[in-house]
Amino acid sequence: MSHEKRDEQADLLQGTLDLLILKAVSLSPLHGYGVLLRIQQISGEELAIQQGSLYPALYRLEHQGVITSEWGESENNRRAKFYSLTPAGRDRLQMETDKWNRMAGIIGNILRATPEKA
Amino acid sequence: MRSLFAFLRQIGAQVRSLLRALFQRGRIESDMDLELENHLESLIGDLIRAGHSRAEASRRARIALGSVLAHKEGMRASLGLRWWDELGADLRYGVRILRRSPSFTAIAAISLALAIGANTTIFSVAKRVLLDRLSVPHPEELRMLRWNGKELVHGIWGDFDSTQDGVTSSVFSYPLYLQLRAHNDTLQDLIAFKEDGMNATVHGNAQRIDAAMVSGNFYAALGVRPQLGRALQPSDDTTPGAGTVVLISDGLWEREFDRSPAVLGQTITLNQTAMTIVGVNPRGFTGVKNVQQAPDIVVPISMQPLIAPKREASLLNDPDLWWVNVIGRIRPGVKTSQAQAALDVQLQAAIHATMVVSPGDTMPRLELADGSRGLHSADRMLKKPVYVLLALTGFVVLLACANIANLLLARGAQRQKEMSVRLAMGAGRARILRQLFTESLLLAALGGAGGSLLGYFGSNAIPKLLTNGWERIDYGQPLDWGVFAFTAAVTVLTAVLFGLAPAWLAARSEVSSDLKETARTATRRRKGLGGKAIVALQIALSTLLVVGAGLFVRTLIGLNSVDVGFNADNLLLFEISPPARRYPHPKDVQLHQQLEQRIATVPGVEKIALGWIPYISESMGNADFVPEGETFDKTKRQAEFENAVGVHFFPTMRIPIVAGRDFGAEDTSTSPKVAIVNQALARKRFPNVNPIGKRFKADRESSNDWIQIVGICADTRYSNLHDDPPAQFFVPYTQQTKVGSMVYQVRTRMQPALLVPALRQVVQSVDRDLPMIDVRTQREQINATIQMQRALAALTTGFGVLALTLACVGVYGVMAYNVAQRTNEIGIRLALGAQPAQLRAMILRESTGVTLAGIVVGVTAALMLTRAVKSMLYGIQPNDPLTFASGILLLIGVALAASWIPARRAAGVQPMEALRHE
Repeated sequence: MSHEKRDEQADLLQGTLDLLILKAVSLSPLHGYGVLLRIQQISGEELAIQQGSLYPALYRLEHQGVITSEWGESENNRRAKFYSLTPAGRDRLQMETDKWNRMAGIIGNILRATPEKA
Repeated sequence: MRSLFAFLRQIGAQVRSLLRALFQRGRIESDMDLELENHLESLIGDLIRAGHSRAEASRRARIALGSVLAHKEGMRASLGLRWWDELGADLRYGVRILRRSPSFTAIAAISLALAIGANTTIFSVAKRVLLDRLSVPHPEELRMLRWNGKELVHGIWGDFDSTQDGVTSSVFSYPLYLQLRAHNDTLQDLIAFKEDGMNATVHGNAQRIDAAMVSGNFYAALGVRPQLGRALQPSDDTTPGAGTVVLISDGLWEREFDRSPAVLGQTITLNQTAMTIVGVNPRGFTGVKNVQQAPDIVVPISMQPLIAPKREASLLNDPDLWWVNVIGRIRPGVKTSQAQAALDVQLQAAIHATMVVSPGDTMPRLELADGSRGLHSADRMLKKPVYVLLALTGFVVLLACANIANLLLARGAQRQKEMSVRLAMGAGRARILRQLFTESLLLAALGGAGGSLLGYFGSNAIPKLLTNGWERIDYGQPLDWGVFAFTAAVTVLTAVLFGLAPAWLAARSEVSSDLKETARTATRRRKGLGGKAIVALQIALSTLLVVGAGLFVRTLIGLNSVDVGFNADNLLLFEISPPARRYPHPKDVQLHQQLEQRIATVPGVEKIALGWIPYISESMGNADFVPEGETFDKTKRQAEFENAVGVHFFPTMRIPIVAGRDFGAEDTSTSPKVAIVNQALARKRFPNVNPIGKRFKADRESSNDWIQIVGICADTRYSNLHDDPPAQFFVPYTQQTKVGSMVYQVRTRMQPALLVPALRQVVQSVDRDLPMIDVRTQREQINATIQMQRALAALTTGFGVLALTLACVGVYGVMAYNVAQRTNEIGIRLALGAQPAQLRAMILRESTGVTLAGIVVGVTAALMLTRAVKSMLYGIQPNDPLTFASGILLLIGVALAASWIPARRAAGVQPMEALRHE
């Protein structure tokens, strides 16, 4: 765990936390801390996530019915709440991913523009 | 489509989640704690593994995670719980605020409750009286046939009204009905009906019931299906006297048969004819005559000759007596005017086909009236009082709203500082508005609960005020929840508006301005003006209500002190109606004589008198009175009120004979015919002549003998209390060719409840199928005719007292607030040498100013509005000076009393205290 690297980490873009959480729990059921670790691990420690904002986001997603939770046993034998994707969540993840990719493509194209082309 | 599905799915999930969160709140909270704790533990574990000391790891982990409380708040917000939590807090705070000022809460809630309750009650009754329709499918299609005309129609058994050019009525002869029905092509099938009281014996129990005689197509054409058994069918009324079947009402089913299905096949005896019960009408079925009253039984009209004989022959083929009501549904697409024109042509043809028309006779013209409320005959009597009550309740509601507005405005001003503090401490304006909104709603809920209770009891009580004790009227469910919801919405809106208005102003004001403002502002501020205007309005409305109450109370007092001309105390009345088939003349006279003799011997009976017409009962009977020397003239009004009475009538009623002799044992059915006239008739028909010994002819039926006047009696009131005593003449019933039903007037000092069983026993021993009809005392009978005036006086007095109380509270509230606000000013005045008495006078002068302004407005309005109730008053003019003067004095007195306490408080202020006062 390398919290010292904070200065070099990228701040999360607004509104993307939900998408990242959906992606993280789509791979396998995770508890809250696990979601955090998974995102940091996949991003290669490049992303800084406000740890506290994770939980309101998880509750919001569960409230919307896109993830569901179940109490289980964690790796260090503690009772932990595991989140997993619902069918509605799978649809949402697909939709959000498509949207993100399209948006990224468009923004990328714009940023690649040169004076001659314009 | 897909996104809609996703959206709906999400809404469903959110509702489920919120409900779970609300109902499993404890588990949710402990889950949140555990989850955050787990997170912290895992993080600390990882940090220790990364080489930090336990203490350092714990410190870093806590920093990384941040405020647990804030996260939990965020998690609650995610679940939608935050809104609920705030609402709970608002409610708790609101309850605390309301409990801290109980008098404010009580006055505001009671004002609301009274407004909602009074309005709901009066509007429910009004809706029932003025708007409710018959309980049949599509009542709006129904058209009632009526006619207006002159000479042609002589025999009417039913309603009729004199107009400037003849009479208007809704009854036809049965042959006319058959003709109209056969040739009608603009209305759907025409229905004939006739409702009348009949003697029925149910389970050996003789009673008077309302019967509807109807044509066989009645149920089919109306689309009404019985709740049990079968309906009447056209085959039931094809042969006169053969359709001995009857449907009973839900009420009769419950009263007499305990809702047993075995009722089908049992019999009811109607005027000696056994009728088999074949069905039970649906609950709440009104019939088609009117909305307020439902017939107890429905029978085929072809049974008339047996169960309701009127003349020797059957009415079913009598073209001269007009008696049946006719109603039908209009055909789709046909205009009422077209149908009326077509039916009028049919009526002319039918009259020519069934009656002898003399050359000079004018033909009646047919009219189609709205039949959705039946004949709505009660309308004429009730419409005006109900409108008056509606207007008065409107004023009460306005008054209550003004009171609430006044209270809330004063309170809002008081709490201005609290709001500023809240704003200064960072509360959002929306949040503050929501808080105040919650408080207003709490208040409204209290008022609404009280109002619904009042409305419930009121709606049950009002019909009792409007009906007499001896007739049974089923009013159904009188409380109208639609009306309740409407009133509640209006008053609650008032509360919310006036609760929020000051809050809105407070929330818009700059934080510092109100905090800086102190009570050291010595000058009078304009803020009080809104309050004073409202109080003036309250006084004006109270003036109106108090004056109105005064007028109706004076009317009632006037009516109660009318000298009726006979002794109305200790008189018991009931009717005996011998069925014509069993008691054809002269058996009816013999029956009455037998009953009269037997009843006279019952212990407790002092005297007994029979008569056709009970006094002060809105009933009347007349006959042409043609003295010797005059000739009968069809165009002149020669009819006078007539009563056929028993021998002991005058001593029983305690009406003095002023000249000549009383009836006596010598006046029998075979002796010469005699009569007694009253003084009014003597003055009117025999001016300057002694009428005793004169002879006259009473043009009734076949009696063509001369009748000799043998005495003159004193004048009495006749059908009601407010008309002056009319001319009347009296004949012995034993000398009449046809008598029918008679009213028995029994003078007794016994309690009616104790005497009636003995009387009933006597009647039953003579004929066990004879019921005693409408048993009541003469006092009850008189009170019934002024029921409306009594109800009006009671209700308007109630409203008046209510108005005075509210105005009193209003004046007190505004003046007390005024004095409290001006403590500093008063202190300075005192310090500068003002005398306490001067200050007291100053405050009283101010309140009197407001009161007088209100009274001027109120009196002006009252002078204009009371003119509309002129016809409902007795013995006084609408601008009765005494009523107005006492009303004004009362209001000034009440206003002075209400401002006395604040004035004394102002006079008692200590200058030093006042200047230090903050």
